[in-house]
Amino acid sequence: MNKIRILHMYADLLDLYGDSGNMEIISYRCRMRGIECEIDQYSIGSPKPDFSSYDILYIGGGADIEQQRISDDLIKYRAEIEEAYKNGIFMFLVCGGFQLMGKHYRDTNGKDIPELGLFDYYTVAETDRKKKCVGDIAIRTEFTGKTLDIVGFENHSGQTHNVKTPLGEVLNGNGNTTQGKNEGYFEKNVIATYMHGPCLAKNPEISDYIIGYCVNRNNDIPTELAPIDDTIEKNCRQIMIDRLMNN
Amino acid sequence: MNTILILIGKIIVAVLRLFKRNAGNLPGIVLWHLTRGKCCKMFKINCPIIAITGTNGKSSVTSCIAQLFEQNGKKIIINREGNNLDTGFCSLLLRYCTLGGKVDADYVVFETDESYVPVIYSQLKLDTLVVLNFFRDQLDRNGEMETLIQKINGFCKSFEGNLILNGDDPNTARLGRANPNNKNVKYFHAKPYAFATDTIFEASEGRFCPFCGETLEYDYYQYSHIGKFICKKCGFGNHEPYITAENIDLEKSVFTADGHEYSPKINSIYNIYNMTAVAATAKLYDIPQKVTHNVISNHIINNGRMETFMLGDRKTTLNLAKNPVGANMTLRVMNEMQTDKELLFVLNDKLADGIDVSWIWDINFSEFDRVHKVVTSGIRAYDIAVRIKYAGYPADKIIVCPDLDEAVAELAKTEGRKFVIANYTAVAPTRSALIKYAENHGGKNE
Ligand SMILES: [Zn+2]
Repeated sequence: MNKIRILHMYADLLDLYGDSGNMEIISYRCRMRGIECEIDQYSIGSPKPDFSSYDILYIGGGADIEQQRISDDLIKYRAEIEEAYKNGIFMFLVCGGFQLMGKHYRDTNGKDIPELGLFDYYTVAETDRKKKCVGDIAIRTEFTGKTLDIVGFENHSGQTHNVKTPLGEVLNGNGNTTQGKNEGYFEKNVIATYMHGPCLAKNPEISDYIIGYCVNRNNDIPTELAPIDDTIEKNCRQIMIDRLMNN
Repeated sequence: MNTILILIGKIIVAVLRLFKRNAGNLPGIVLWHLTRGKCCKMFKINCPIIAITGTNGKSSVTSCIAQLFEQNGKKIIINREGNNLDTGFCSLLLRYCTLGGKVDADYVVFETDESYVPVIYSQLKLDTLVVLNFFRDQLDRNGEMETLIQKINGFCKSFEGNLILNGDDPNTARLGRANPNNKNVKYFHAKPYAFATDTIFEASEGRFCPFCGETLEYDYYQYSHIGKFICKKCGFGNHEPYITAENIDLEKSVFTADGHEYSPKINSIYNIYNMTAVAATAKLYDIPQKVTHNVISNHIINNGRMETFMLGDRKTTLNLAKNPVGANMTLRVMNEMQTDKELLFVLNDKLADGIDVSWIWDINFSEFDRVHKVVTSGIRAYDIAVRIKYAGYPADKIIVCPDLDEAVAELAKTEGRKFVIANYTAVAPTRSALIKYAENHGGKNE
């Protein structure tokens, strides 16, 4: 396969802290390997997308006030998204996107807003401003098969509970809950995280994991991605890790 | 009671002066506590107050409006040091008022932080509010811009003074509908310039009509979401301009407004909008045409805002960018210039900058026209390098130099017209590094 098709949902409403940059990064890293990459946008009011025709579904984060509007819209496609997920579409979900795939979102009035329910975690709005999770974060992951420390910027008040398979362990920062232990959610074809920045900027391994997954999705013989010189990204990450660990 | 409070304030100002310290915000902060947050209410201002607010361009426009009155022989009070909160206003007035709180001036011109418009002008009678634009700011990314506009809108609902609004910014123009009884709403507008586009080029907000939710349609975009827009459903955007900038020619650096030709020294579409706001204010206060012409044509800024330096024989323009719009502005000016160029981008993430730097991903780096080298510097030198790399600029032409002096030397060593972008806390050190290099290599700060 030499073409990756991405469905970027709600780009106009969910684009915090450079989240749309993730798309620029994936296209760049595909382009450098001669892999074609096509990104379609979907938002409220667009015609119904054919979820089965995509390799990646991407949703970023946004203001909490948009959440209800988006979940009302997204829930119309529950069956199609679940089917695409079961057929192995890669789901890359940041912040709001992460929350939207859980069971529900308990708002500040204690009311449960049903979410897509694809995964069995759920999110509770935190009203105490002091418990807001804001700042740079470093986490330790194993998703590449090796220990890998990655960094991002988190800004959320929602507390996500009941995550059975997190993306990583928090080294410095909050993660899924205030002063929490774990960050994000991971499955072979799902990376969900609170990390903005954008998330992929300093963590080229995540982009390559996603691209590699898509390239090999329908291939019996796994192909290796050609290496890219990531010196700038890795220096950038190391500086942030050093700064966070010396805090 | 007022007299005692003012006396306390004046004593603090005097003591700070004695120690040769700039009074800054401190007297205001003390009085703010003593008055339970109503520190502006103590003053009796009988002259017109003109407030300037908006995300970008406040300092320039405030300074020009002050000059309109000054050059017309009036006595004015202005906050020059960007002290634009209620406590800053209070500290400033303390220096000029009598013990009874009476302020002696012909006009008070006050650059006002967006969120403090309702706070200050619920305590003091405002004559004119000039609103330049609203852009999402790096500190303001949780739907807070909407909250901010709502606050000012709330103030405008009962405001009957003059409202000078950017008619080409839907976020700003909507304030004109806040009080249907206000007959003093005036919009400034600009006809398309050579680089206006049919489709949106830079990240923006305000795509939808704030009154009916319909997608706004544009005849043209000047930059970001600024342009001639209309809501086909409810007619939002059909306002008559009070003043229009036209025949905009940035190559010759001229434009006309109300039949008068101006030749500003700062040559960008952003400055055209700012100067149109100035011209609108001049028209409102019947400033003689000669004065207006003089102010608009001679306006320059020497604080890292489109400031020019000579690095040896290489001309260099430094510009502050606190947000994507500010950075896009320099990139636009750079790309529009038909010559070989090089760019230095200095990025810090100190508290005053906003601890998050992801706003750089909202900058449009997709076009680099004849830009042969990019140097990056500052605390977050690598972050901006990563950003520019992923925009498609060749990675081998990006040079990361966290040390500023090294970065300036790297920039200066090759040919080409130089552009420097620095964010908030990076501007002052960058300016110093440029001046230092110029001094050691025979250039000058123009
Ligand atoms: Zn409308």
